[in-house]
Amino acid sequence: MTIIDWGYIWDAVPDLLQGLKMTLLVSVLAILLSLLMGLIGCALRMSPLKIVGYAVAAYVEFIRGTPYLVQVFFVFYGLPNLGLTLSVFWSGVVALSIWASVFHIESFRAGLSSVSKDIHNTSASLGLRRWQHALLVVLPIAARSALPSTLNTVVSTIKNSAYLQAIGLVELTFVAVDRIAYEFRATEMFLSICVIYLVIVLAVSGLGHRLERRLNRPYEGR
Amino acid sequence: MANSPTDQQGITFSKVNKWYGALHVLRDIDLKVAGGEKVVVCGPSGSGKSTLIRCVNRLEEHQSGTIVVDGIEVDGTRQNIDLVRRRVGMVFQNFNLYPHLTILDNCTLAQRWVSGRSRKEAEERALHYLERVRIPDQVNKYPSQLSGGQQQRVAIARSLCMAPDIMLFDEPTSALDPELVREVLDTMAELASEGMTMICVTHEMGFARQVADRVIFMDQGTVIESASPEEFFDNPKEERTRRFLSQILH
Repeated sequence: MTIIDWGYIWDAVPDLLQGLKMTLLVSVLAILLSLLMGLIGCALRMSPLKIVGYAVAAYVEFIRGTPYLVQVFFVFYGLPNLGLTLSVFWSGVVALSIWASVFHIESFRAGLSSVSKDIHNTSASLGLRRWQHALLVVLPIAARSALPSTLNTVVSTIKNSAYLQAIGLVELTFVAVDRIAYEFRATEMFLSICVIYLVIVLAVSGLGHRLERRLNRPYEGR
Repeated sequence: MANSPTDQQGITFSKVNKWYGALHVLRDIDLKVAGGEKVVVCGPSGSGKSTLIRCVNRLEEHQSGTIVVDGIEVDGTRQNIDLVRRRVGMVFQNFNLYPHLTILDNCTLAQRWVSGRSRKEAEERALHYLERVRIPDQVNKYPSQLSGGQQQRVAIARSLCMAPDIMLFDEPTSALDPELVREVLDTMAELASEGMTMICVTHEMGFARQVADRVIFMDQGTVIESASPEEFFDNPKEERTRRFLSQILH
């Protein structure tokens, strides 16, 4: 007998692909939503209204300071009592987005601080409007410095979708755990999904690094 | 337009005051710069000279008095700010080129978004001015690939693309290595010889002697002395001016 039963893995592929589809769907939605929340949160964080900024800072500290699994449970089991009942799927998307958004807020803030303040005077002296300066100057400069940490969060978002099996979302990890409960092939199943996660993560970070190189081109010096 | 000074042209400060909180940085400034005139402003750091020129295009707000630029009052209304900024170009100590854009794109961005020129028009114009400041073959490079002197000349070209009648220079050579100062000053002198109205905050006294119609000395938010370069350097009237000159001329 070999240690790993490759035939068993082969038979599990259709089930795993089903799970993979859900993992990708939830991850893509959460990545998009969290990036949007990150942008809005970052803008609010830097609001001239101090109280708004503090509220966002408190949100960031709260999410960073509590276990992610507890947040997932809270959204699914806790929110209904407060009058908000979400399906398993949307609970998953929301919990994952909330978790990722606070890291995006911080990365974007760091990115913005890399834009020299004096360059705003240049744009003003050339007659550019505030929004033109924000869009054409600040955004591209900030994006470049925020990219590495943003990419990190994006990758973690995909990996952290695995926790959503705990509320019964039938994604990749759920499929594996479910089969193990009946057929006890833990080694085969966990190894398989590890490889699948790894492939997705490598693909995403590969794309990200290409983007990074592109954005870094202007700064490479002579 | 730029070459025919009228009464309207130029900059007039009347009783201008500005505070940063409790700090009184401009005190009752009365100053007239005629169309086509070249004025060099010098003075110790913190004397208010940068603030003075930043009030001209409303990068800084003055709290009392009036500033009139080419007949337009800098009164804080959006419309007048836009009108004034269209006429006034500015060059900064730290060049402030857009680091993510090529030299050419640095010069076309505002042309396209503010003046509404087509890409082709904007690029032709940019190339014209880049040639004038002698950055001929580097238009597709990025700022980080240029020396400080080259970057500052690009910044000058970028301003000129907007066709200003007035140019403000805020210590344009202070951040440059000594060997790169000359090329920037030469570009500015050339501009001066073509009739541009200029206010230049600088400590380059050679430049002041060569180019300025008038040299102004500021200290603690007031204009202490205003005279022709000959008078200013050879026969300064005020004690504070003399002390300052002895410090910077060694």
